[in-house]
Amino acid sequence: MCRDMPPLELAIQFHGHICPGLLMGVRASEFAIQHLELERDRDEELLAVVETNSCGVDAIQAILGCTFGKGNLIFKDYGKAVYTIASRDKGRAVRIAQKYNANRSPLFARYRELNNKAELTSQEKTEQENLLGQIFESIMTAPFEDIFQWREVDFSFPDKAEIRKTLECSVCGEGVMDARAVITANEIVCPTCCIDKGGE
Amino acid sequence: MCEANVYINRNGKEELLMEKVDRIIPGDENNIFMESIFGERRVVQARIKEMQLVHHRIILEEIKRAAEFQEQEIWLTLDTEHGHFHDGEEIKLNLFKGYNMKANQDYTFSNPQVFMQQYGKSRECPLHINESMIEVNLGEEADGLIQIYARESGDKELYAKIFVEVGHHHHHGVEPAGLPLEIIPGNYQHARMGENYEIQVLKNGLPLSGAKVKATYTGTSNNDYPHHLVTDDDGKSSLFLTARGNYLFSVADEDIISTFTLTKSF
Ligand SMILES: [Zn+2]
Ligand SMILES: [Zn+2]
Repeated sequence: MCRDMPPLELAIQFHGHICPGLLMGVRASEFAIQHLELERDRDEELLAVVETNSCGVDAIQAILGCTFGKGNLIFKDYGKAVYTIASRDKGRAVRIAQKYNANRSPLFARYRELNNKAELTSQEKTEQENLLGQIFESIMTAPFEDIFQWREVDFSFPDKAEIRKTLECSVCGEGVMDARAVITANEIVCPTCCIDKGGE
Repeated sequence: MCEANVYINRNGKEELLMEKVDRIIPGDENNIFMESIFGERRVVQARIKEMQLVHHRIILEEIKRAAEFQEQEIWLTLDTEHGHFHDGEEIKLNLFKGYNMKANQDYTFSNPQVFMQQYGKSRECPLHINESMIEVNLGEEADGLIQIYARESGDKELYAKIFVEVGHHHHHGVEPAGLPLEIIPGNYQHARMGENYEIQVLKNGLPLSGAKVKATYTGTSNNDYPHHLVTDDDGKSSLFLTARGNYLFSVADEDIISTFTLTKSF
């Protein structure tokens, strides 16, 4: 890489395409950086609790460095575009919630309509490209409070994850973390094998 | 409250085009110029379909431009993936002819010339005429920020301009190349997606206000230019960049068409 990549570009490269959801995540991430006064090297000290698993979370991962692999991304399957970003160093956390009306304008509705179509005519492709351009500009230039609401929240950091033991599954022979294995008197069974056996 | 919201009918759907418009001027070639009380300006290819004055609504109907009307223009691109060259790299550019960044395969150039300009000096570059474009090779010696422009005289006088950056330097502002009609980038260093980008149009070295500038980007599926801008009293206008690729700005005045290729670092 030749230069420091801007956050927007980081998110697009990570996510693979530009879409309204990703751009919303970019705005939320940039707000967290600014509001919590985060430094560039912030990976390890941040924690994100995300209440959705859609496009916007990829911006959180790419820009804030909160990822599944590092264990500083916690997913709560609530189906809500809500991100809580906490800084260990600053001892502060901000809860950022996308407003219900943020993506309700006719532009978004039409974009989603086209996006859900299995196949687009060339005219529709052009329409979608132009719609995305307009949505892009509207998301990136909207006053933050128009599309998100936020508040500082109390946040207690979970203890650092302890290293768990890996056991060998008696059925498939693959390794499984001890906390996830079903251990009986004479067998250690991994969740995969448990489910395949109908939970026997 | 005397201003109106302007809507446009596109493919049978009504879209809000601009809010609180206080000036609408129908121009030639089916253009409509509008300006809002916030100073936003826009030109669309459309005609007025209905004016609902009590409801402060003006409804336009889009006019699709036929391909035959498309003027041929020339533009330059850098033959590199990432927007700039490194020291010691061979510096190559391409010159195309066509419209809306879509090269015309049956192009014919009549006596094209390409010049490189740096530190106030200009020199002509050797050209390699290829099947679908013209190649310009500046060799490996060049360094710093170089302005390249191309010229072709036919029915119309065509100009194209681009900047080449070799190595990582910091440049503040760029000088006009001195073309009769020219687009000047406001901030050469800072062209990023997700931000506004300002350009200025000069005619014979002076700001040209009210100039219609078209803008497009690499890989657009639009047949015609997707963006239409109008310059203000200082000859300036800006565009919010939403595409990943490079942008092409084009301005026409009298018998001159002049383009500027904006190479984004990202
Ligand atoms: Zn997406
Ligand atoms: Zn198993």
